[in-house]
Amino acid sequence: MNLDEELIAALRREAAPENFAAGVLAKTTLAKTPSSRARDWAFRRPAIFALAAVLILALVLPSAIYEYRRQQRGREARDQLIAALSITRVQLQQVQEKIRRNTRHRI
Amino acid sequence: MAWILLAAAIPAFAQQNFDFKTLDKLGANATNSTNITLEGDALKLATSFLGDEKSSLRNLTGVYVRSFEFAKPGQYKEADLAPLRSYIKTLQWTKIIDVRETEETSEVYIQPLPNNRLGGIAIVSASPKEVTVVFIAGALNLSDLGKLSNLGIPDLGLGRDGKKSGDSGKD
Repeated sequence: MNLDEELIAALRREAAPENFAAGVLAKTTLAKTPSSRARDWAFRRPAIFALAAVLILALVLPSAIYEYRRQQRGREARDQLIAALSITRVQLQQVQEKIRRNTRHRI
Repeated sequence: MAWILLAAAIPAFAQQNFDFKTLDKLGANATNSTNITLEGDALKLATSFLGDEKSSLRNLTGVYVRSFEFAKPGQYKEADLAPLRSYIKTLQWTKIIDVRETEETSEVYIQPLPNNRLGGIAIVSASPKEVTVVFIAGALNLSDLGKLSNLGIPDLGLGRDGKKSGDSGKD
């Protein structure tokens, strides 16, 4: 057999097996039926929700903690300011009382 | 004009340089002590949490209180108050009250400002078993002080010129 005959034999048109197309389809698009996709989504959904929750917490939590601490610092500072003003008031009242007492002595 | 600016700047500069922590040594032997320092952002935060009264206090720049009580006399040195008195003297505030009794002294200084306002108030009160220093810096509106009685500020009885009637001696 020479080369020409070998090529003709190799490139000879042949009909596909009877169930070839059905087999290929079954392995590709037909394999991913809607029900199987839904099964995959249901399987992955909790993980996606958990990831979303973690991301939201990561975004919201720092600002919530910062605001909580700011409120706490603000309340403490306000209490200190009120205490300082109260001491001021008491001191001024005591001074007024001393002045009143001394003035009474002189009269 | 430059002299006026310089004269205004000297007290402001001196005010920034006094370290109120130096007064803490007064309380080394104290049985009870109150130590309050509010300035900068902490003071702004404090006034922002005051509700309706905050407008009267929003111009404060510093609030310092040191109050110490002692179990027996002679537990602090009167000389430790000298730097504060010198500092107040550099500010050229007006001494409106100076009460001296056998063992007690009370001094009240203010910085009068135009338009019925105070630029600050300082109180130095010393007795054998107690010493208290109050220093409040920043503009206070005298007309608003009455509204603050529930927060601890009494009516100072100051006239419109910012001086207490019958006593205008300057230290």
